[in-house]
Amino acid sequence: MSSGSFSYSPPEHEAERASNSYLMSLVVVMVGVPLPIVNVIGSGIYFLANRRSAYFVRWHCAQSLLAQLFTLPVNAAAVYWTLAIIFDRASFSNSYAAYVITAILFNLIEFIATMAAAIWTRRGRHVRWWFFGPLTDALVRG
Amino acid sequence: MQKILLQFLLLAGLFFGTWLLLRTVDYRSLLHVEEVTNEAEQKLSELILDQLKKEGSECKSDSVIALVDSMKQRLCIANGIVDSSITIHILVHDEVNAVALPDRQLVVYTGIINYCSSPEELAGVLAHEITHIRHGHIMNRLRREVGVSMLGALAGGDAGGDIARQTTRLLTSSAFDRQMESAADIGAVRMMAKAGMDPVHFADLLFRLSQEKGNISKRFEWISSHPNTQERCAEVLRLRKQESYTVKPILDKAQWEFLKKTVGGMREAGGQGAASNVRGSESGVRGSTSFFLPPVSRDGTV
Repeated sequence: MSSGSFSYSPPEHEAERASNSYLMSLVVVMVGVPLPIVNVIGSGIYFLANRRSAYFVRWHCAQSLLAQLFTLPVNAAAVYWTLAIIFDRASFSNSYAAYVITAILFNLIEFIATMAAAIWTRRGRHVRWWFFGPLTDALVRG
Repeated sequence: MQKILLQFLLLAGLFFGTWLLLRTVDYRSLLHVEEVTNEAEQKLSELILDQLKKEGSECKSDSVIALVDSMKQRLCIANGIVDSSITIHILVHDEVNAVALPDRQLVVYTGIINYCSSPEELAGVLAHEITHIRHGHIMNRLRREVGVSMLGALAGGDAGGDIARQTTRLLTSSAFDRQMESAADIGAVRMMAKAGMDPVHFADLLFRLSQEKGNISKRFEWISSHPNTQERCAEVLRLRKQESYTVKPILDKAQWEFLKKTVGGMREAGGQGAASNVRGSESGVRGSTSFFLPPVSRDGTV
């Protein structure tokens, strides 16, 4: 994660809306733990609602959504595997435990990064995540 | 674009690398998964056995237990199963039934011993139930139908007697799903063949039980709860053809007659409660007789 200046200095209202895109994913995280798709839907709705907003807002909405899209298959697989164990289609194995720990670890990193991004973006700073930053650059045009 | 792809691959590699690294830890041992499971199974089994003993007393005859145990021993040894890991209980009860319980316990009703016309038929039933035990079908089914939390409460003694009765009823009066029953039949045929028994006897038993048309009472619980007996009988005969075996007798005629006579005597003398149970349930004959399909011949043709 790196922070720097944007192509222009975003005004207060843009910084607030950009920051909200990250907050959106944090707000739905409680629901998103058992149902990972809810996170993506939440971020997706926010992205669509801001698709005509200023470049700074759109850019951060897109970065937030892309990060959610990455964690979706990871979390969905964890939920599916857990349900399979509960309903006896699979047994508790070392692979399962390792996967859940890995998924929790990645979710935790994402959670911390999202919180930091929400705070810094609110201050008008441009936060770029590793991989998601360049990907957002390629997808969102100014 | 190349940079993005490279970063994606690194991210994915980091994820799978972490997973692979964490997989080297033995979480099952760390979390005492086996111990907790075994303890819970043991408690569940005791609970269900207690419920069953309310329906019929446990046979205490050493000679009867030894004879049935010798059949189990022969099946186990021939199939690489630790014989002592499976415990047989004989329940003095007229019901034609045999039940596999958690913690590798197997309950054989005197009703099914009486019903079998040869020791090989009884061995077939034992082999079928042992396969359920071997494949872990019992706990799988209980977890699915009773629920993990309810089983935990049962094992911990926090669930009411009614739940314990219902769980016992589930195990004694309904079959496993089709897949599990089929696996148990396949296992039974293989076990019998390896132990030098002709699986045709198991098919014979299924065939005779399927002929109990119009007599579907509580007494024929084992078969009335096992669907499509005719199909299973045909399948057993088909599987039998794939096996090669040299038949060796399990019990001699005198031993078998002794077993039948002793068990028959128990039913008459000690099975008062059990007999009244049967009479009571016969008045409530199961509504459907569709389970019993047209007869099947010994070569497997329906």
